[in-house]
Amino acid sequence: MAEKILAPLAGKIAAVKIKAGDKVEEDDDALVIEAMKMETEVFVPCDGTVKEVLVKVGDKVEEDDVLAVIE
Amino acid sequence: MRPYFEKMPPLGRELKKGEIKRTEDNVQAMKDAEAEVAKAVEAVHNAGFPTEKINARGEMTVWQRLEYLVDPGTWCPLHTLFNPLENEEGTTNVIDGLGKIGGKWAVIIGFDNKVMAGAWLPGQSENILRVTDLAKRLNIPLVWLVNCSGAKLPEQEKFYANRRGAGTPFYRHAELEQMGIPVLAGIYGTNPAGGGYQGISPTVLFAHKNCNIAVGGAGIVSGMAPKGGFDTEMAENLIEKSRQFKAKPPGSVKTHYDVTGFFRYMFETEEGVLDGLKEYMAQMPSYHPEFFRVAKPEPPAYPPEDVYRLLPMEPKKVYEFDQILARLVDGSQHMEFRPDYGPEVYTGLCKVDGYLVGCIGNRQGYLGKGYPEYADYPGIGGKLYRQGLIKMNDFVILCGRDRIPVIWFQDTSGIDVGDTAEKAELLGLGQSLIYSIQQTDVPMMLVVLRKGSAAAHYVMGGPTANRHNAFTLGTVASEIYVMHGETAAVATYARRLVKEKDAGKPLEPVIEKMNQLAREYHDKSRPLFCARTGMLDEIVPVAALRQYMVAFAGAAYQHPKSICPQHHLILPRIIKG
Repeated sequence: MAEKILAPLAGKIAAVKIKAGDKVEEDDDALVIEAMKMETEVFVPCDGTVKEVLVKVGDKVEEDDVLAVIE
Repeated sequence: MRPYFEKMPPLGRELKKGEIKRTEDNVQAMKDAEAEVAKAVEAVHNAGFPTEKINARGEMTVWQRLEYLVDPGTWCPLHTLFNPLENEEGTTNVIDGLGKIGGKWAVIIGFDNKVMAGAWLPGQSENILRVTDLAKRLNIPLVWLVNCSGAKLPEQEKFYANRRGAGTPFYRHAELEQMGIPVLAGIYGTNPAGGGYQGISPTVLFAHKNCNIAVGGAGIVSGMAPKGGFDTEMAENLIEKSRQFKAKPPGSVKTHYDVTGFFRYMFETEEGVLDGLKEYMAQMPSYHPEFFRVAKPEPPAYPPEDVYRLLPMEPKKVYEFDQILARLVDGSQHMEFRPDYGPEVYTGLCKVDGYLVGCIGNRQGYLGKGYPEYADYPGIGGKLYRQGLIKMNDFVILCGRDRIPVIWFQDTSGIDVGDTAEKAELLGLGQSLIYSIQQTDVPMMLVVLRKGSAAAHYVMGGPTANRHNAFTLGTVASEIYVMHGETAAVATYARRLVKEKDAGKPLEPVIEKMNQLAREYHDKSRPLFCARTGMLDEIVPVAALRQYMVAFAGAAYQHPKSICPQHHLILPRIIKG
């Protein structure tokens, strides 16, 4: 079963800490979104493997955009 | 009202495995920074003569006196690093804090007899005035350990005169007494001139057998007639007189215990003086804790040490304020006020050591779609918007009505700006909060968790903008400034950049100035700078924050000037609905 990591807010991707194939655990660091001078960390929602990462550093994202998929 | 407070709704949750894993670096960074602060504190402890030298004279140091005097586990030091005029001694030469003596909370202050025998130094009067203000704000006794050799004469122009000078504490003592707040003084050593008034101005004087207090000491009694200069004959004369006065200084217990009776009590030993103070303090007017407690005291459900993981040192990182508060209050329980309104601030009732307190703090992170409701841009925690300002006004007014002390937690970058924000009345609502706070007349304390910035530092219970802030604590993550250094550089140099560009001149010199200004802002907003200059009253290890909250709540409820019967409290009923 796949679980999507969604952008919790609009902003710019400041860091990507996972890549496809990584084994991850719930609450691991996944990405950082910079918006309004603050950095919001986005965490892995469940244990699994990173299927794909759909963004890179510098990308602009909107709220609820899919950032990565865990399966 | 027992059902309201015995078991309040839960606050916070346990840390998840991932949270623990990814915060190891933060724990280390915070502990390293706290070790640096501890080093600075240690330097103040070690200022002046070594302890052994003072003990060899048959005297205790101020630190030893404090340790003997204060009930174990209750000492909460304040102003340890305060040194606003950068004295070479590294201290203002008074040591102060909150602590219990004989089971009662007191504001306690003593001269450091290791440094110039406790002389007045620059910045000391400002330190003492903070302490008299604290006793006034909490309505609890002020206890002095007087041991003051007078003024550091070569620097008298920095502290002797002026509106807030070294003599100001004397009338502040009178002011406290007029308000019914006793000032008790244990007196040691030689206390001439300023030291004499420091000794005579308190309410009850407890003298050590070897102490003296006098209008003028041996130094000036032997040379009070200026003759336009000095010569050898005068020097010889001075030597003789000085020897005589050193052997028999004016104002000893022979005079002020046996003749004037200024010293109400005289003790043979140093410890005897402190025992006398303890005995007196036990009799000071106070309510039994049960009078005001709303529930049995209990520790937080989660360890206070978790705050090392929950409060990021990195100023841009968002975090959950509610999780931090859950590590600081009894049972990790609360009653949140208007949780569906003004999401950028937390307001709620919590218990600290069984006492009811109002807590207010900035929440961090994205505030959700459609907020603030008056703007087409998103809101982020740390900033204040219309609803948050209205909610805080509402909450402090009700805390004032219910006579509930308030604890503020700041991590704020300011109030929302721009014409849209102006139309939303934020300028007026910020000032309204200052008015509301001023009207409460309840004691407040502030913890600057991370950022204290712009007008938000004022309106959220900051020490600059109200009379009710008892003290302001910082952490090693604190930073205080009118705005971020880079913002200030833009505000200062943006137009200059335009001019240089239009004139075809190079931009680099202006850019260098901008970077320099940003660096200066950084250096002058660090916790150690803030503590030395008095923007913070103490930098506290995050695991010790609760200890100060317990001291604040206990002191605020020890002998308050007004009371709201528990069954007349309206705020918990408004929350319950």
